[in-house]
Amino acid sequence: MLTLKGTPSEREFLHHVIRESGQNLLECLQCGKCSGGCPITSNEVGGPRRLIAEILSGMKEAALGDPTWWYCVSCGTCATRCPVEINMYKVSTVLCEIAGKEDFAPSEPDIHRFEELFLKSVEEHGRVEELQTAMIFNLRSWKPFRDATKGLQLMLKGAISFKDLLPGKKAKQTEAGRIFEKVRRDKDSGAAI
Amino acid sequence: MNVSYYPGCSLESTAKPYDHSTRSVCRLLEVELHEPAGWSCCGSSAALKMDRLLSVSLAANNLALTEKERFKDVLAPCPFCYRRLLSAQQEITGDPALQAKVESTIDSELRGDLKVLNTLDFFRNRVGLERIQSKVKTPLNGLKVLPYYGCYLLKPQNVTPFDDPENPVSMDEILASLGAEVLDWDFKTECCGSGLALSKTEKVVELSARLIGEAVFRSADAIVVVCQLCQANLDMRQHEIGKLHGAKYRVPIVYLTQLMGVAFGIGAKSLGLHRHLVNPQPVLRRYKG
Repeated sequence: MLTLKGTPSEREFLHHVIRESGQNLLECLQCGKCSGGCPITSNEVGGPRRLIAEILSGMKEAALGDPTWWYCVSCGTCATRCPVEINMYKVSTVLCEIAGKEDFAPSEPDIHRFEELFLKSVEEHGRVEELQTAMIFNLRSWKPFRDATKGLQLMLKGAISFKDLLPGKKAKQTEAGRIFEKVRRDKDSGAAI
Repeated sequence: MNVSYYPGCSLESTAKPYDHSTRSVCRLLEVELHEPAGWSCCGSSAALKMDRLLSVSLAANNLALTEKERFKDVLAPCPFCYRRLLSAQQEITGDPALQAKVESTIDSELRGDLKVLNTLDFFRNRVGLERIQSKVKTPLNGLKVLPYYGCYLLKPQNVTPFDDPENPVSMDEILASLGAEVLDWDFKTECCGSGLALSKTEKVVELSARLIGEAVFRSADAIVVVCQLCQANLDMRQHEIGKLHGAKYRVPIVYLTQLMGVAFGIGAKSLGLHRHLVNPQPVLRRYKG
């Protein structure tokens, strides 16, 4: 076992991420196969190797502000190619949970908005209302006509239906809604898995 | 053959052609699909990103529902649903504390013994190539296709071990058994941009551009998919990709189940072939039985 250096808060952050994600970042070789194959790594988005380095160094603010985990589409390429089998989408979830709990402003508000609207739709209807979610997302992003021409074309082809855009009846209490509520209650009471 | 069927949200909204063609093809292959009543969303990428307990519980709730059906196998055509169901089952059965927590959250017990199957695993290994071939009325001779597997079906490998994550062959084999000419390429499991479709459209255009460009370079008649996100991203973004490359692209993006249907002699309408932005019917017309 490696002896960790750094301040107690830096060590605590690293330990927390490792414990909650189940991914032993201490084994990371910094080889970069993850970022090499990662579809969202770019000049602007640092990628998994850099994110791991930030966490290993106890740089909590940098890690929580890193756009990589917001962009992560959980394609699993990093986990498949990593010589020590670190799965970074599990790390993304933990960072997202910490950021949410500590009210850390999302570095990628667009992605955050979409995920929230998606889950809201699932909570209310049990199943996601895809078109409604897309439309509300466009409205909230101040781009009400984004993809409108394509939407119209698809509608004419019968691929999507106009009535799916209208706000449907909210199901009174869905099974999914109950699960959302239960998870929220558990979180408020501080019960850990 | 009887199996449970978990279509997932997309297949009953924006990806109806995938649902309809899967059902038509299964009917012809004498596979009865049983959809558990009251299923809900698997949590998808949003829950996976935002909240682990929520994500596992939403998937587990559907597993519990499906376990109540009498069948061992469940077919989940959406690759994300497939991976979420499979992963939740693995996570729960490997961690008694998590299982207890999830069972109390969903207020239901879990056996954790379902066999979760995706489209490729199901048709290639459960139904089998021989049976598929025996139903072919019009072989797709001369149709040049690129099999595009996407990422969620095959990665990470410790969750989805049914085929090779870098160079899978199950779809190639099914397409070959339909008589199609399967082209080789390096992008079988490269990402199309997936769920960033709306929030980071420019990223999706950039990633999908590599696939469309390669398909044109290899003179493919169509890219064949088994994922509704791949279908939507590749079908919908060709205009933007064209602008990026200074070209005009019209590459049909079809579901594997649609091509199976065409070879089996099922009508274009029941397969939803008329519902894509880039109309695949001109290249498929010659296979009308």
